[in-house]
Amino acid sequence: MDFNEKRIPIIKIRDYLIVSIQVDMHDRLALQLQMQILEEISRTGAKGVLIDISTLEMVDSFIGRVLSGMASMASIMDAAVVIVGMQPAVAITLVELGLEMPGVDTALNMELGMEMLEKRLIKA
Amino acid sequence: MEANTEIKNAKARIEHIEDVLSSVAAGELDIRIESDIEDDLTGIEQAINLLIDDLTHELKKSIKLKEDMEEKLHKIQEQQKTILQQQEDLMELSSPVSKVWDNLLILPVIGTLDSQRTQIMMENLLQKIVSTGCTTAIIDITGVPTVDTQVANHLLKTVTAARLLGAECIVSGISPAIAQTIVHLGINLSNILTKATMQSAMIYAMKKNEQLVDGKLKTNYSEQDEN
Repeated sequence: MDFNEKRIPIIKIRDYLIVSIQVDMHDRLALQLQMQILEEISRTGAKGVLIDISTLEMVDSFIGRVLSGMASMASIMDAAVVIVGMQPAVAITLVELGLEMPGVDTALNMELGMEMLEKRLIKA
Repeated sequence: MEANTEIKNAKARIEHIEDVLSSVAAGELDIRIESDIEDDLTGIEQAINLLIDDLTHELKKSIKLKEDMEEKLHKIQEQQKTILQQQEDLMELSSPVSKVWDNLLILPVIGTLDSQRTQIMMENLLQKIVSTGCTTAIIDITGVPTVDTQVANHLLKTVTAARLLGAECIVSGISPAIAQTIVHLGINLSNILTKATMQSAMIYAMKKNEQLVDGKLKTNYSEQDEN
């Protein structure tokens, strides 16, 4: 599969997985990423996933749905997902599309996202 | 009894009438039918002259009217330009987002909200959230006289979009009138955090940011001591 060559790297740091999306997302890549993250969670037992989408300039309804679906899937696998660094234009698009992503945590940047996960883990 | 009327020089005179009429039709209004002879045709000639007079008069009037109208149109166009200019100015002036404390942005809204303005407001606020890195924003709508479904919807969208960025929005200063309309319109604002005044919104935000603990301000700045 040629898609495997373009895999989005998933980095594990302590209890967290860090995913930085730096290419244009297309539908198959999004689904593949979803699969990859879930497998990685079960393999490493990570407690939190940070998905950085700060370089993502466009999001369509499908990607939006995959992202929010990924968060709910990860949360039933006992890992919290925080989406980090969304662009204003992307946020506006998602809201206009009616994808308000309830239940998905968001943070302005990686640092704040990490803090958020740490607080969550202390509480739990 | 003279049943047959005698018209002298009839052919020449009729030709003259024809000439005059065609000149009038071409727009020359100063020409009149001239005739020295008085007979049955004179009446017709005079009637035609009268008609030409009337026509001249009407034409002058309508030209004047047209000029008036053009002048007015010009004036209206000028005014339109001014209005557009002022609207643009208003748009730029009307949505300032200011950072008032660490991690705290305030967007005071004054005047009537329409969709275009709320759109600009939303973009400004989101841009500012990203550029300053503040995670709390207060939208103060004390200065907004009325809210309709569309505006309420836009407010909801703004708050949701800010949440997607990772910032929390507090709406403050909802007047009794607005509260009534919102409930009567059946708009659900329960997902939005609302506070009565800007003060209580700020207190809430600063408590949440752990800048205000037990009523005492925690500050990391070089203190401007008032003691």
